Amino acid sequence: MPRVFSDFVMNFHFDPLLLAIATPLAVAVAILLGLPKRHSIKLAYVGFGVPAIIALWAWMNFPADAGAKYAFFTRYSTGLDSFGITLALGLNGVALPLFVLAGLVGLAAGLYAIQSNAERLKIYLMLLLFMQGGLMGVFASVDVFFFYFFHELALIPTFIMVGIWGGRDRNYAAMKMTIYLTAGAMLSLIGLIAIYVKSGHSGQTFDLIMLREALAAEPIGATTQKHIFGLLMFGFGILVSLWPFHTWAPLGYGAAPSSAAMLHAGVLKKFGLYGLIQVALPLLPEGAKDWARLLAYLALGNVLVVGLIAIAQRDLKQMLGYSSVMHMGYAFLGIACFSVLGVGGVVLLMVAHGLSVALLFLLATSIHQRTHTLDMTQMGGLAQKTPVLAAFFVAATLAGIGLPGFANFWGELTIFVALWHFSPWMTVAAVAGVVISAIYGLRSVAAVFFGPPTEALDKVTAAHPPADLSWREKIPALILLAALLFVGFWPKSLSTPLNSTLAASFRMLDAPRLTAGR
Amino acid sequence: MTMLQHAILVLILPLLSATVIAIFLRRAGGIAAAVSVTAATAIAAIALILLLHGERFENSMEWLKLGNFTLSLGIKFDDLAALMLTIVGVVGLCVHVFSLGYMHDDASKARYFGGLSVFMFSMLGIVFADNLFMMFIFWELVGFSSYLLINHYHEKQSAADAAKKAFIVNRVGDFGFLLGIVMCYWLNGTVNLTELAGHHVFSNWVPLLLFCGAVGKSAQLPLQVWLPDAMEGPTPVSALIHAATMVAAGIYMLCRINVLMVPQALTVIMWTGTATALYAALCAITQRDIKKVLAYSTLSQLGYMVAAFGVGPTLEGIPIGDARGLPNSILVGGVGAAMFHLTTHAFFKALLFLGSGSVIYGCHHEQDIFKMGGLKSRMPITFATFTIGVAAIIGLPFLAGFFSKDAILYLAFANNKAVFAVLAFTAVLTALYMVRLWKIVFLGAPRSEEASHAHEGGLSMTVPLVLLALLSVVGGYGFVFKKLAGNVAILVPEAEGSAHSVILATSLVVMILGAGTALLLYRPTESDALEVKSPGLFGALLALKESFDAIYDYYVAKIQQRFAILLNFLEQVALAGLVIRGVSGLVGLIGIGARALHVGSLHAYVYWFLIGAVLLWAYAAGVF
Repeated sequence: MPRVFSDFVMNFHFDPLLLAIATPLAVAVAILLGLPKRHSIKLAYVGFGVPAIIALWAWMNFPADAGAKYAFFTRYSTGLDSFGITLALGLNGVALPLFVLAGLVGLAAGLYAIQSNAERLKIYLMLLLFMQGGLMGVFASVDVFFFYFFHELALIPTFIMVGIWGGRDRNYAAMKMTIYLTAGAMLSLIGLIAIYVKSGHSGQTFDLIMLREALAAEPIGATTQKHIFGLLMFGFGILVSLWPFHTWAPLGYGAAPSSAAMLHAGVLKKFGLYGLIQVALPLLPEGAKDWARLLAYLALGNVLVVGLIAIAQRDLKQMLGYSSVMHMGYAFLGIACFSVLGVGGVVLLMVAHGLSVALLFLLATSIHQRTHTLDMTQMGGLAQKTPVLAAFFVAATLAGIGLPGFANFWGELTIFVALWHFSPWMTVAAVAGVVISAIYGLRSVAAVFFGPPTEALDKVTAAHPPADLSWREKIPALILLAALLFVGFWPKSLSTPLNSTLAASFRMLDAPRLTAGR
Repeated sequence: MTMLQHAILVLILPLLSATVIAIFLRRAGGIAAAVSVTAATAIAAIALILLLHGERFENSMEWLKLGNFTLSLGIKFDDLAALMLTIVGVVGLCVHVFSLGYMHDDASKARYFGGLSVFMFSMLGIVFADNLFMMFIFWELVGFSSYLLINHYHEKQSAADAAKKAFIVNRVGDFGFLLGIVMCYWLNGTVNLTELAGHHVFSNWVPLLLFCGAVGKSAQLPLQVWLPDAMEGPTPVSALIHAATMVAAGIYMLCRINVLMVPQALTVIMWTGTATALYAALCAITQRDIKKVLAYSTLSQLGYMVAAFGVGPTLEGIPIGDARGLPNSILVGGVGAAMFHLTTHAFFKALLFLGSGSVIYGCHHEQDIFKMGGLKSRMPITFATFTIGVAAIIGLPFLAGFFSKDAILYLAFANNKAVFAVLAFTAVLTALYMVRLWKIVFLGAPRSEEASHAHEGGLSMTVPLVLLALLSVVGGYGFVFKKLAGNVAILVPEAEGSAHSVILATSLVVMILGAGTALLLYRPTESDALEVKSPGLFGALLALKESFDAIYDYYVAKIQQRFAILLNFLEQVALAGLVIRGVSGLVGLIGIGARALHVGSLHAYVYWFLIGAVLLWAYAAGVF
């Protein structure tokens, strides 16, 4: 132990990425050790604020021509160096957008949790902070071991939060989520270990940079690639609710407390897609091509089947859960395209979807507090009483259904364009999704906010006159909405670093194939 | 300031206005109105400067780049764009000013004027778009502003439903539009309009898919169902968005992509337009709501424009504002007639809608024409201007509609006699239902309390009416349209010799036939004369109108919803129930573990996992 510790101290210098991970974790540990509630809340602001500020700082200072290189790169010894495990932190153009996403959604979820007056708020915040630290770690890790480790660190609090603070069906939901997500995590872990085992005769490693170099020089055999990619595709796929392994998601999100749903649906769920893009595609390109068609078929299940199921929902959060699953279909379709355009579109969509779905879950909870129900047939006319809440919800819904001006549009559009090159008829099916999402999106908006209020709602509002969105709810919502609009109006802010990194990494992929062809 | 900067300013101003209103002026309706109207005035002024200055240019900026794919935003300002910009600017200003009076007492004035500004921004984006992706972006945005404004009286269920329907039906059209754009991109490697004009691969699919967008936006059969419902929005909105500009964007888009057209696609477009023109005119005859009559009339006239575009021959390129030395020309002859009618229609239909707004305002929000009557003496300015509008739309000689309708009839006469016959018959119907409306609303004695107390609105409402009436008179003359449309005006077909006499005779006969029938048949009474005298015919027309709504409702309630519920059921039973239970039965360990898993033991699981991980690490790191 002392050796590890001294190494750490010797190597230490100011590292913003480490700070972004460590701050929420440190605050969480402090609360765990018995910090009084008053201080806990004050420190929680720091715990959620620091990662967000660092994320924005990283965004502003990210080199435009990063290429395959990682910016803000640092490597720490862990004592397991001989096993090829080091804590390597850095951001490339793919990681940066998600790091920013994690920072912003984390801040919004944290602020919303602080004002929520949840029971046992201290413990709730502590778990959220653990989650936040884990999330920042997932996207800052250059080492596959820590990438996975941080995911687990963030995942476990999710189960606990659903189990304790969840709504209706929380036990069943927590159980189902745990089974599915653990199964997904296990499958992908086996896949990742397989890569590690196959990573070269000179010395096995979890380090992504070294893995890329090693596997570019000496690719894994095609059959093995196929097996490993299959493990990762289904493992990560379950985590991202690939059809038909998606049933945990609507149930889980329906039951999860709002901040947990925001962080999980908004950010943590993206781990699987991120893993496919950052690990599986560059290391197992042949495997990816073998599986692409099946992946795309299943993804169409997400878009069409789950999309239609979303239309049938009466419960607002269930509907949001299904719509979130539906949009993951677009992401898988983009990955199946195996091109800079398709994969770039996926990253844009991940960021946009994360922001918009977090905003929707936040607002759904605010609606619930005012209507005392989530059944959309029991609402109506809420816009007359809470116009600001209505405006936010309409904006978030329109973002979700891909209206230009919001970030989501760019993700969907680029995926559609890329998909045509992969398969025109699949593009036809996928674009049909824009009609489906308009139907369930606008229906829910109309059912909740427009028309005359239902009798049931009249009774509730007579007993508890609903107030419009308070500033404490508005600020986290504004953070998310502003980010959606910023990327929506200025997509270059993300696409430039993204393009630089993806172009470099796809160039690397093309190189060995060309030599193999000779 | 260069002309390019002028154009950028025109585009940014309304966005700025909308942003300021949304952020700061939510509760200050009066100031919001002032900001929005100021922006509209500036837009109209700069639009005229851009038109008259004569410089035509093109410029674009890269907005997103991934791999080999680049999406740019740019401005293509040629004669076609200049014409459309002027229409949007002038009609937009009239509607903004009119709204000052019409929406004076509205509780959500800020939202309304903010919405108008969003609309102006989106519409101008379509006008300027130099490539199809950019057009699609703003295409969706006009859909959004239309949704916002139809939904203005959102506490009414009918308004909420109409807004939703408009957006979703438009999305169905956009489904095809977007596929067309993507296909065009992969076929040609570009979606830039000027580059496409230079070289492109001919395909039947691309123009037809792109046309889907126009079918949705310009409410052509079978996607016309949303437009009559959209009348739930405030009347000035109907004038601006659902009559003069946005719904005409479909025709503008067709003219923009005319170089991609192939004869087969033109045939489909021609018949779609012709069928819509006839169908909507038949529907208009039975309507009692003043706005619904005008809505069906709009549908019919849009059908006219689409038919005009489709019936035109393909020809040698006509240059319309050269830029970058690339070919920038028109290859479809129908563009001239379609844009000509689009222009005159924008003026007289905006006039008619604002006139109806004035009537509705005067009659304290009564919209049933059979409860009006006698407004001639009570609202003289509205009466005079409305009469000019009616005269223009039915094609009275020397008014704007006469010239543009003749151009279309001539084009059809020269190229397809069947289309000509249908359009001529439609013109009879147009005269019939418009004169019916005019007579029942304005003549006779007031038939309700509201009508007898009707009064003219303030100056803000009458001045726009007079201005639009003026444009409805002069807009059709060659020298005016030449000024507005530049080289696009060259394409307007002019009948010569015997054809000229045939067309002139036809248009006079159909007008007299329609108007005469209406004057003789209808009396300003409380009942519909056609319904009384020929219930069979009336019922048939009504059934024709309702058939589409019935199909739409049947599809939504019976097919789509039931299918969704069925899938949901299968999901719950098959996936969540059987499959998962089956799997958990197989994997016994997980199954048993899962059932034992309650909140308490969940902690245990989690902590065991963590402790295990830490121990493993400690061991591997050689701590002990």
